[in-house]
Amino acid sequence: MKNRVRELREGRTWSQGDLAEKLDVSRQTVNAIETGKYDPSLPLAFRIAKLFRLSIESLFDPAKD
Amino acid sequence: MPRYTEKQYRLQMLAVMTVYVVLMLAEWPHVRSIPSLPWKIALALAPVIPVVMAIWLMAKRVMHSDELEQRLHLLALSVATGMICAVTLVGGFLCASGVVALDGDVLIWVAPALSMFYGVTHVWLRRRYGSTGCP
Repeated sequence: MKNRVRELREGRTWSQGDLAEKLDVSRQTVNAIETGKYDPSLPLAFRIAKLFRLSIESLFDPAKD
Repeated sequence: MPRYTEKQYRLQMLAVMTVYVVLMLAEWPHVRSIPSLPWKIALALAPVIPVVMAIWLMAKRVMHSDELEQRLHLLALSVATGMICAVTLVGGFLCASGVVALDGDVLIWVAPALSMFYGVTHVWLRRRYGSTGCP
């Protein structure tokens, strides 16, 4: 599943470590989400959306793999 | 709740494993020669204490992990359990059929073998999910 997490993170000049700390996950998890290797659970997707003040639909695109 | 870091885990695991190695080197060679049965049982089982502590540390690490890390631990543990089942079944059938002779001492190697399969699988999974090195 494609997502805009990297684009949004870089737009705020956050490192993967910064984002990981804000989401209370590991840097590896942030990297796996950004590269599309791991699709986050619904609660984590909500946390990401809330952090960027966006809807889940605008962050994640299930149509693309 | 602050995350249980990999550094904390490794330091605590190192301490526990040091105790295990010291026990194995210092007292285990003398266990068979001890005449008192209660002492023999106590000293024979002493190395189990650090191993149980190590299992507790592993459980603590998993409990403090995030969802992807927990998934990797589960996958690695599943692969390791499957491998141990296969290996012990092969050994058991060969022993039962008289092809090889195994005694009870071989059971000591089950836990280290499980840890080895788990560790190798976990490293492979971490790389597959994009880990670039130590967290």
